[in-house]
Amino acid sequence: MSVFTQVVINGILLGSMYGIAAIGLSLIFGTMRIIFIAQGTMIVFFAYLVYWSFVKAGIDPYLSLFTVVPFAFAVGLGMFYLIFRRAAALEDRNVSLLLAVGVMYLVQNLILKVWSATPRGLDLSYSDAMIVVGGLRVSWLRLALVGLAVASAVVVYLFLKRTRVGTAVRAASEDMEAVKIQGINAVWVCAVSFAIGIGLAGVAGVGMATVYNFDYQYGFTFAIKALVALALGGIGNVYGALAGGILLGIIENLAAYYVGQAWVEVASYGVFMLVLIFLPQGLFGRGGLVKKV
Amino acid sequence: MANLLLEVKELGVAYGDVRALWDVSLEVEEGSIVALVGTNGAGKTTLLKTISGLLRSVHGQVLFEGEDLANLDTKHRVDKGIVMVPEGRRLFQGLTVLENLRLGAYLPKARAGYDDSLERVFSLFPLLKERKNGKAGLLSGGEQQMLAIGRAVMARPRLVMIDEASLGLSPILTRTIFGLIVELNTQGTTVLLVEQNIHMALKVCHRAYVMKTGHIMLSGTGEELLANDDVRKAYIGARGSRLL
Repeated sequence: MSVFTQVVINGILLGSMYGIAAIGLSLIFGTMRIIFIAQGTMIVFFAYLVYWSFVKAGIDPYLSLFTVVPFAFAVGLGMFYLIFRRAAALEDRNVSLLLAVGVMYLVQNLILKVWSATPRGLDLSYSDAMIVVGGLRVSWLRLALVGLAVASAVVVYLFLKRTRVGTAVRAASEDMEAVKIQGINAVWVCAVSFAIGIGLAGVAGVGMATVYNFDYQYGFTFAIKALVALALGGIGNVYGALAGGILLGIIENLAAYYVGQAWVEVASYGVFMLVLIFLPQGLFGRGGLVKKV
Repeated sequence: MANLLLEVKELGVAYGDVRALWDVSLEVEEGSIVALVGTNGAGKTTLLKTISGLLRSVHGQVLFEGEDLANLDTKHRVDKGIVMVPEGRRLFQGLTVLENLRLGAYLPKARAGYDDSLERVFSLFPLLKERKNGKAGLLSGGEQQMLAIGRAVMARPRLVMIDEASLGLSPILTRTIFGLIVELNTQGTTVLLVEQNIHMALKVCHRAYVMKTGHIMLSGTGEELLANDDVRKAYIGARGSRLL
C-alpha cells in the first residue's frame, strides 16, 4: 500500500509540470484556436535560460523565476505581435498552427546552436533534499514544483475571473467578433492571453531546469504530454488542466511501476485516445476540445 | 429640422469579388428610430457591420455628426457612441449577466459611467437584475435579447443599431422588446433598427428604408411605407404581419 502511495505521490509531482504547460496551452487555445505546439520547446528554451543564469551567474533557479517569467511574458507579447498577429485575424486556423510549428523548429535549432545537443541538468546543493513523512519520501524540489503549479493555476484563475482583461479573454474564447463589437481591442486581448501562456512556459522552464535533464528535442514530447493533460482536463478550465496534468503523471508512474517502463507512453496515449473517444469534453472540462454545436 | 446623427453616402461594400452593397445612402436624425427592412440577404447586416467598422467599404462615406469615420476602427466608433446589438444576440453564454454588462462598458468613457448605466439597464430590464449572477446562456430568448440590448446600453451609446431584435421570439415577446426599444428611444437614444418583421418595424419607426439585393429601393416614413402597395405586396402578407 505504501508503495502504491509513493508511486501516486511521485506521479502527482511529475504531473504538476504537465499541468503548468497544459494551463498555458489552454489559455492560448482559448483565443487563438490552435494547439500551440511550440509550448514544450519554449519551456525547454526557458529551462536553458535558467540553466545559464545558474551556471554563468550562480543565480538560484527559484530566484530566476523573478527574471525568467517576466522575460517570458515579454517574449510572448513580442512573439504575438511579430509572428501571430496577422495569422490570428484569419479565418483559417492552419496558418497559425503552421507558424507555431515553425516557431518550434526555429527555437529548437536555436537551442541546438547555442547550447549544443548535450543534455543539461542542474546539480543544486539541495537537489537531493528529501522530506520523509510516515515512510513516504518526497523530494523538496518536486514538492516545490507542485506549489508552483498550484500557484500558477490560482493566479491564472484569478486573472480570468477578477480582471477586466481576463473577463474579455473568456469572452473572446467564446466569440471573438462579439468582443470587437463591444469596442474591446481584441488584438490586445489575444496578445495578453498568449503572453500569459508563454509566461507559464517560463514558470515550467524553471521547474524543468530544477528536476529534469533536458535537451533541445525534449520540448516536442513535452508539448504532446501537455496536450494529453489538456484533453484529460478539458479546455477552458484552469483547474481542470492542472488536474489533467496531475492525472497523467499518476497514470505514467503507475504504468511504469506496475506494468513496466516501456509501457508508460502506451498507457498515456491510450488514455488520451480513450478520453477523446468517449469523453471529448474532458474529465472535468465544461468546454472540452470540441464544443457542442 | 433635427440634427443628422448618422449619414451614409453612396456606400459600396464587397466580400472579395462579391458585391454586397451598391451606392447605399441613408440618414438617421438624432433622437429618431429608423428602420431598415427587407428580406434575407438584402445587405442590412452588411450595412450595420460597415457602420460599426467591422467591414470596410470600397467606396462612399459613413459620417457621424458630420465626421468621416473612414479611419476609425470599431473601438473608436464604439467610443463615439455607435454601438451594435448583433444578430443572434451573440452574448457570452458562459459568462454571467453582470459580466456581459461589464464587457459592454469596457472603454474608459463607458466605464466612468458604469454605475449609472447599470441602473438604467436594470430599470429598463428589471428581469436582468434578478438574474445578474446567473449565466447568460441560461436566460430565455426574450431575456437574452434584453441582455444584448442592455449590454449595448452599457456603452452609453448615442446610436444603437439593433440587428433582428425579434429573431426567434414569440409575437408577444416581440411586442415587449419593441416596447422597450421605443422606451430606450424616448430616453434619448437614437435607434437604427434592422428587421425582418417589417410590419412591426414600420409601426414604431419614424423613418424607414427598404433594402433589396444590396440597394436601397424605397424610403419614407413608417406610415407611408405601410400604405405603399408595393411594400404591402412584396413584404407584408395578407394578414398584415407575415414576413417574407
